[in-house]
Amino acid sequence: MFYRLSGIHHTRYESARALWPVTADRRIIQGLLLLALAAPFLLSDLYLTSYMLPWLIWTAAALSLTLLMGIAGQLHFGFAAVMAIGAYTSIHLTRAGVPFELALLGAGLMAALIGCLFGAAALRVKGLYLVMATLAMQYLVEWTIINVPAISGGAQATLSTPDVTFLFVPLQSDGALYYTALLWTVVVTLLIMNIKRSSFGRALVAVRDKDFAASVIGVNPLRYKLLAFFASSFLGGVTGAVLAFCYYQAVTPEQFGFNVSIQLVAMVLVGGLGSVIGAYLGAGFVLLLPIVLTNLLAFVAQFDLIPISFNLLSHIPLMVYGALIIGVILFEPLGLAKIYDNIRKYFLVWPFRHTQS
Amino acid sequence: MLPEKIHQNLETSRAMHPGWQDKDHLIRQLVNNARDHADQIALRERDRGIWQEYTWRDYLERVMALAAGLETLGVGPGDRILVVGDNRPALYFGMLAAVTLRAVPSPAYPDTNPQEIQAQMEAESIRCALVEDQEQVDKLLGIRVAGYGHLDHILFDDPRGLKDKEPRGALALGDLLARGRARLERESNLAQDLQSRPSVHDTAVLLHSSGTTGAPKGIPLKHGHILSGVRNASQAGYFREGEVHMAYLPMAWVGDFIFTIGAALVLRFCVNIPERQETALHDLREIAPTLYFGSPRAWSNMLTRIQVGINESTGLKRRLYHHFMPFAVELERRRLAGQAPTAAERFWRAVGEVLIFGPLKDQLGLARVERPYTAGEAMGEDVFLFFRALGLNLRQFYGQTENCALCVAQPLDSISLHTAGRPFPGVALKISDDGEILVRSDNIFDGYFNNPEATAETLQDGWMHTGDAGYLEEDGQLVVLGRVSEVVHTRAGERFIPTYVENRLKFSHYIKDACILGKDRDYLAALIVIDIDAVGHWAEENGVAYTSFADLSQKPQVYELVRKEVAHVNAVLPDALEIRRFVNLHKEFDPDDGEVTRTRKLRRKVIDAHYAPIIESLYDGRSAIEFEARISYETGESGILKRHLAVADVVGARLAEEV
Repeated sequence: MFYRLSGIHHTRYESARALWPVTADRRIIQGLLLLALAAPFLLSDLYLTSYMLPWLIWTAAALSLTLLMGIAGQLHFGFAAVMAIGAYTSIHLTRAGVPFELALLGAGLMAALIGCLFGAAALRVKGLYLVMATLAMQYLVEWTIINVPAISGGAQATLSTPDVTFLFVPLQSDGALYYTALLWTVVVTLLIMNIKRSSFGRALVAVRDKDFAASVIGVNPLRYKLLAFFASSFLGGVTGAVLAFCYYQAVTPEQFGFNVSIQLVAMVLVGGLGSVIGAYLGAGFVLLLPIVLTNLLAFVAQFDLIPISFNLLSHIPLMVYGALIIGVILFEPLGLAKIYDNIRKYFLVWPFRHTQS
Repeated sequence: MLPEKIHQNLETSRAMHPGWQDKDHLIRQLVNNARDHADQIALRERDRGIWQEYTWRDYLERVMALAAGLETLGVGPGDRILVVGDNRPALYFGMLAAVTLRAVPSPAYPDTNPQEIQAQMEAESIRCALVEDQEQVDKLLGIRVAGYGHLDHILFDDPRGLKDKEPRGALALGDLLARGRARLERESNLAQDLQSRPSVHDTAVLLHSSGTTGAPKGIPLKHGHILSGVRNASQAGYFREGEVHMAYLPMAWVGDFIFTIGAALVLRFCVNIPERQETALHDLREIAPTLYFGSPRAWSNMLTRIQVGINESTGLKRRLYHHFMPFAVELERRRLAGQAPTAAERFWRAVGEVLIFGPLKDQLGLARVERPYTAGEAMGEDVFLFFRALGLNLRQFYGQTENCALCVAQPLDSISLHTAGRPFPGVALKISDDGEILVRSDNIFDGYFNNPEATAETLQDGWMHTGDAGYLEEDGQLVVLGRVSEVVHTRAGERFIPTYVENRLKFSHYIKDACILGKDRDYLAALIVIDIDAVGHWAEENGVAYTSFADLSQKPQVYELVRKEVAHVNAVLPDALEIRRFVNLHKEFDPDDGEVTRTRKLRRKVIDAHYAPIIESLYDGRSAIEFEARISYETGESGILKRHLAVADVVGARLAEEV
C-alpha cells in the first residue's frame, strides 16, 4: 500500500545494490534519522539521557555482537568483557594524555587483540565448547581487572572518566554526549550493512553455514573466523569506551559482569540474529521494556484494585519480561526483525499475498 | 531491383501522393533527433538485470555504421531483408540501416515454422536475413539445405553458440558494426551520403496479412504512409511527444513498427525492450511506461492474474478488494452512461485509489500509464470496465495493417462499450451499400506486394475495402460487427458471424479459445479450449484432481463449469442461434498445427479438417467419441494419440426457465 515499486529500474549494478532501493524505505530511514537528530529538542533531559542514550549505545554493542554471532555464526558469551577492555583502555589512555579520538582507536585495538586471543579458540572448537571458551574470557578479564590495581584503580574502586573533547567539542553537555553516541551508532550501522553486502560479509556467511564447505569454495575459515573476532571485538571495544564516556562516566568492573554479557546475547537473539534492525529492536526490548513494564505496573497499582505486596510489585515486571522473551522466541524464532520484515512484506505485496512477477 | 524500375516506382508514387515532401522520411527524423536531442535516451534494453541505454546519438551512429556495413555485403535499393527474432535493439538498428540503403525489411514472427518462412523468402526473393540468435540461424540454415539457395547472408545479433564457428554466410552484427565503423572512418562523406539516399516514397517495411484465408499477402508501407498516420494520431492527441513505451509485441506485427519505429522517431519516444518475452511483465513494472498497448487477450490475462492473486490473498486485502472493485466498476458503468458520480462517491473512490486501485496499478506496472490502448478484436465488457474502473483511460483502436492500424479510435470524451470510435483527422470513412466499411486517407498503402488482383479488390477508386461489416451511429461513431466474408447462415437461413459468438464465449476467463460451428447445420455447436491457468486454479480450489490439460478438460466438473459459461452466452443470443452442444478439446489450438495464425486467429478450414469426427459427433447426438488425434512434434514428425472426448448438451437459459 505504501510501497510503490513501479518505475524503479537500474542502469548500473551499483544502484541495484543500493542499501535502500525502494523509495518508501528511504523515506522511513530519512524520517527516523530526522527524529534522532531532533531528539534533544523534542525529549526531556531525563528521557534523552536515561532512555535514548543507553538505547543507542547498547544498539551499537548489539550490532557489534551480531556481526560475530549472527553473520559469522561464532557464539560469544563474554562480550561484556570485550567492552570492559575498551572502556578501561580508553580511560587509561586519556588519563595519560592521549587525545580521545586516538584513545577510542586504542580501545578498539586492545579489545580486538585480546578478543582475537580468545577467539583463536574458535579455530579449534565450535558450539557449546566455544561458549565455554568465551565464558572463560569473561571471567579471566573480570578477574584481571579486579585484581590488578593498575587497571581498576584498586579493588572496589570506581574509575571516573576525565574531561575530554571529541572532534573539538567538549563532552560535557547532554547534547554533546547524545550526538557522539548517535554518530557512533550510525557509523556502526552503516558499517554492518555494508559488510553484509560485501564479499567479506558473504565469506562470513559461508563460514557460518558450513565452515568446511566454505573452505571448499575457497574461503579460508581460519582467516575469516579470526577476522570476524577482530572486527567484532574492535567495534565492541570502541562501544565500551563510548559507553564509559557518554553514559556511565565512572566505571566499575561490575558494570561489565556476566549478566551484561547474557543481556547482550538476549538483545541479539530477541532482535534477530544477523539483522541490523533487529539490533535496534532487540536493544530496545531488553533495555526499555522492563522500565516500561515497571511504570505500567506502578500506574495500575495506584488504583488499589487488587492488593499487591511491594515485594510482588518489584517481581512482576521481571516475570512478565521473561515470559515476553520466551513468547517472542516461540512466536517468531527469527526475532523481532522477522516480525518487522513480515509486516513490511505484507504491505510490499499489497493487495496480493505474494509477489506477482 | 533494376534502377529504371525503382525510378519508375518513384514517379508513380510522386503522382499518387503530391503532398509528401521528398526529404521528409524516417531517417531524416532520426538524424534530426540525434542533432537536437543527442543525449536524450532513445532506447533501453534490459540485459542481465540492468537497463542498457542508447541515446539518440548512439542510435544514429549504430544505424549509420550498420548501413555502411550492410552495403559492403551488397545490400542495395529494393532488396528485401528478412527479419526474424524477438524485439532487440540491434534488430531495430538493422532494420533502419536497411531502410537507409533503400532496402526493405520484411519481418516474420519468430515462432514461424520453416515452411512458412521459406515460402515468404521465395515470394520475396530474399538474399539477406537479420536474425536474433542461434535458433533462428539454424532455422534458416535448414531452409538453405531444404533447397532455397539464394540466401547469401545471415546476420545474427546474439553470438552465443555461434562465436568462432559461424556457418558459411553467417556474420555477427557486432562484426558488421565494426566493419561499418571502419568504413565510416575511412570515407568521411559516407554518413552524409547515406542519410541523403532515402525518399519518402520508398517502402519502409514489408508487413504481412495474418493469412486467416490462404497464404499471407505482403503489405508494403512507405515512409509517407507511416509518417502521415503517426502525425494524424498525434494531432488527435493519441500519442504525445516523449512517451515512455514498452516494445514487447512481435516485430512482425504492424503495431510494433508503427509505435517502436514510426511514432518513436517522430515523437522521440523512449523505447524499452524487455530482457525476454517471459520477463516482459516484470520488466514492465520496472519501467512503468506512459503509453501501453495490449491486445484484448493480454488485458484479459492481466485481469485473470489479478483475480487469481486476490483469491489467494489474505482476508483483509481480499475484503477491501471485493468492496472497492465492484463499487468502482459500477461507478464507471454509470459514468459511461452519462451519470456523474456524487461528491460522496468521488470521495470513496479516492479512498479506494489509496487502498486498492493505486497499489494494483503499481503492481501491474501501469501506475504511470496515461494512454492505454487495445485493438485487434473485440474486448470483453468486464475487462474493459474493470481497467477503466481502476482509473486507466483504456481506449480501443480499430485499423488494419493496410492502413498502418491507425484508422479509428475512441475519443477521450465519448466512450461507449460497443463502438470503435471516430476516424482520425485526415481519415475519411464511409459505409458501402452492402454494409462494408470503406476508408480513404494518406496512410493507406498503395497495393499488395506482387499481387495486383488482391490490390484491385481492396483498393477501388482510392477507397480501401476493409472487409469488415459495420455501421455508423448517429454521433459519427463506428460500430464494427465482424468480417463480411465470415457472415454465414445456418440451414434454416439464420445469419450469424462466428467470431462474434466466439468472442462472447472468450470473455469468460475459463475459455481460452472457441470455434463456433453451424454453417448449413441445424443449430450452433462449439469446440471449446479451456484456459489451463484459470480452470487449473479453479480445479485446485474445488478439489478436482487432474494430471494434464487433456485430463482436466474431460472432467465432468469442468464440463459443468463450461456449460454454465455457454448458457450465459446463450442468454444474450437469439433463440435460433443458441449453442446447443459443445466439446472440450484435449489440446489448445496450435499455430504449429496450422489451426490458428501467429496472431491467434482461427483457420476454420484447418480446424474443420482436423476435428472432422468430433464435429460429426456434435451433430449426430452421440454423448462421447473416441478421437484419434494427430499431433506434430517440434521436430516436424507426427504421431497419433487416442483420446476419449465427451460431448455435452447445453440446457439453454430460456429452456431451463420454461422447465
